[in-house]
Amino acid sequence: MQALDGVRVLDLTGGIAGPLGVLQLAEHGADVIKIEPPGGRPGRAEPASVVYDRSRRSVTLDLKSADGARLFRELLATADVLVEAFAAGTMAGLGLDYADLRDEFPRLVYCAVPAWPSGSRFADRPGYDALVSARAGLHWEVPSHRPGPVFQHSPVASLAAAYLVPVAIMGALVARQRTGRGQRVEVSLLAGAMSLTTQNWNWTDSGQHGLPNSFPSIHQAGIYECANGEWIHAAMVTGGRPTRTEGEILGIEDVPPAVVFAMSPGERAAHETKKAAAFARRDRAELIDELHAAGRNAEPIGPPHERFRHPQLLATGSVVEVVDPEAGRTTQVGPVVFLEATPGAVAGPRPVAGAHTDEVLGALGHDAAELAGLRAKGVI
Amino acid sequence: MSGPLEGIRVIDFGQFLAGPFGPMLLADLGAEVIKVESIHGDGMRHHNVGPFLGCQRGKRDIALDLKKPEGLDVALRLVATADVVHHNMQKGIADRLGIGHEHCRAVRPDVLYCNTYMYGPVGPYSHLGGLDPLGQAASGIEWEQGPVTEGNPPLWYRYGHGDIAAAIPSVFGVLVALFHRANTGVSQSVWTSILHGSMLHTADSWLTADGTPSPRGTLDREQLGLGALYRLYETRDGWLQLAAVRPEHWPALCAVLGRAELASDPRFATPDAREERRAELTALLAEAFRADRALAWVRALDAAGVPAEISADTRDGETLLFDEDLVRLGLVTEHAHPLLGRVRQFGNLMTFSDTPTRPERPAPLYGEHTREILTELGYDESAVDDLHARGAVASAPEKYPYPV
Repeated sequence: MQALDGVRVLDLTGGIAGPLGVLQLAEHGADVIKIEPPGGRPGRAEPASVVYDRSRRSVTLDLKSADGARLFRELLATADVLVEAFAAGTMAGLGLDYADLRDEFPRLVYCAVPAWPSGSRFADRPGYDALVSARAGLHWEVPSHRPGPVFQHSPVASLAAAYLVPVAIMGALVARQRTGRGQRVEVSLLAGAMSLTTQNWNWTDSGQHGLPNSFPSIHQAGIYECANGEWIHAAMVTGGRPTRTEGEILGIEDVPPAVVFAMSPGERAAHETKKAAAFARRDRAELIDELHAAGRNAEPIGPPHERFRHPQLLATGSVVEVVDPEAGRTTQVGPVVFLEATPGAVAGPRPVAGAHTDEVLGALGHDAAELAGLRAKGVI
Repeated sequence: MSGPLEGIRVIDFGQFLAGPFGPMLLADLGAEVIKVESIHGDGMRHHNVGPFLGCQRGKRDIALDLKKPEGLDVALRLVATADVVHHNMQKGIADRLGIGHEHCRAVRPDVLYCNTYMYGPVGPYSHLGGLDPLGQAASGIEWEQGPVTEGNPPLWYRYGHGDIAAAIPSVFGVLVALFHRANTGVSQSVWTSILHGSMLHTADSWLTADGTPSPRGTLDREQLGLGALYRLYETRDGWLQLAAVRPEHWPALCAVLGRAELASDPRFATPDAREERRAELTALLAEAFRADRALAWVRALDAAGVPAEISADTRDGETLLFDEDLVRLGLVTEHAHPLLGRVRQFGNLMTFSDTPTRPERPAPLYGEHTREILTELGYDESAVDDLHARGAVASAPEKYPYPV
């Protein structure tokens, strides 16, 4: 049994924040049905779709056709949640905006995931992730070894919004248990970007409060190269009571951070050179073992796929095999929220586009002949 | 108080960031959140004003000493009134202090209990604490941001990704547990971790059957983009972000640059060709964009239907925090703080049409609501004074020792 058993979600989303946000609902029991245009949504060509579109069924439907819109409304009558990530005005153009739906479907939770906040002066502008980062000022928030703005490899605004989408939907579902009614919730990519500013953008009458926006930033200082060109992130501060100091382990003098920050540039450079040399002498795996044994923190730095060997992910069953209809046997990261009584789980691979159209529409009472006719017309 | 979580009470025993950020979001959603702060002060409060403001707003605060029996007693009386207990203590510590899951269930059988960790409560690293950079390292984003493959060192993102990667999923978990409890009467515990939450940043990295990693875009050595047409370009007066992503954008871009002939140049005719000649095309475009001001380019690109934005330097957020639209739409909030005066920061990250939310108050002072909360629990004035005298609880002293 899973906590969201019986909750049906119609997933119209493309991009990142929508599909990845909905994934968390799908893997805690929600019946997620992806609604795609016949032929499948364009984003399926992206490798990310193998993960972002998993754990759900797929119905292909042409929402622009009268038959398609009618069938969609039949589906809505069975649904608890609708999630869409279209450009402003798209759903209204289809007659499927929240204003169009709320009276007929009073229990519906309508989740919008636009790039820009609805009603903003820039709501109609193109909303690719990097454009949101640009307007949100995020390119100037990650100090680097050279001056100027820094493009983030990760689509950070979209990923941040992906964390918030299932929270917003669950908030509305919890509220509905009290009020009996649905509502419209919104998580824009710009709001995602804002969620990344919480530590640093706190403007007060006494000044701006946040981490210094200069290089090297505090935790950048923990990045070192070990032997064989392997990089390590050794944490500057550590929780608990370590039994040995970093200096003892590295074989160098321990200098408290406060003293380091007070050093002259020349002294600091000399200190850094000594420390870097100490790391460079060490095999990374051995050093991490030694740090851990002393209750200290460090992680290897490597490309994302190396985490499939991470002992903690393996220990928690978070490295999962998923057989994708196109890609074959794949290894992916599983659910990342752990509930004691109702655990989450991958609910299946990414579906072939439209694989469940007949099953889902058949359950609404449409027989094979009718479905064949609709298919011939390109509606499904 | 309104919001989707009206009527829900949360007791927040966490400190620093990865814990408290979650209960702050619960407060943003309308829950009543009481921060139970160590008598010695939250570690973040001592030194880091910004991060503290950014994860503690919306809560009331009682400072108490869990190591004193009277302090623990107050804490458990609070738990007895609560729906949710939330914290980020290392494995075993809450149990040792007497506020573990079993202790809380004993005073409140239907309590929902959430502990966020660095690595999780099981596994070979479960005894270790940790922090954000470890999550960033393990997810692979530091490597890709270097990019190390181009000879740069890895780069840490200054946001604290890892902390909120533990916190926001913990809020999801708590809400799912609340939903389930209302349906079935079944309560449970929830956990998340910086490590596991950080994996969502790179969830799209997968392996094929023979262990080959899925293809991923690569950042260039200058850390300016993922290809010539999805990149930052320097103009005569600042930077613009180009996102000429669709096929029709390419000829339109060429026209805007006054280089219409490039649209049919076989060197750059297809996306694959443009990727193959990424450096050459980038250099060409970089030179072109330097010829005029960023605003002029964006206007011309807008008119031609080519997506672009000025890459804004917000001066540490000031321009966005004072953007009238964002204020009007609730994405920015302002409160009066007793020490700092006006505090402007992020507002609603999620909006709700029928159960609207509004962050109610700034981050609390140490012990700001100790007396108020004890009175609500039923302690009379002399009992409250006695608890203070014993050092079991504390209120904000007249000579306030903290910067926030």
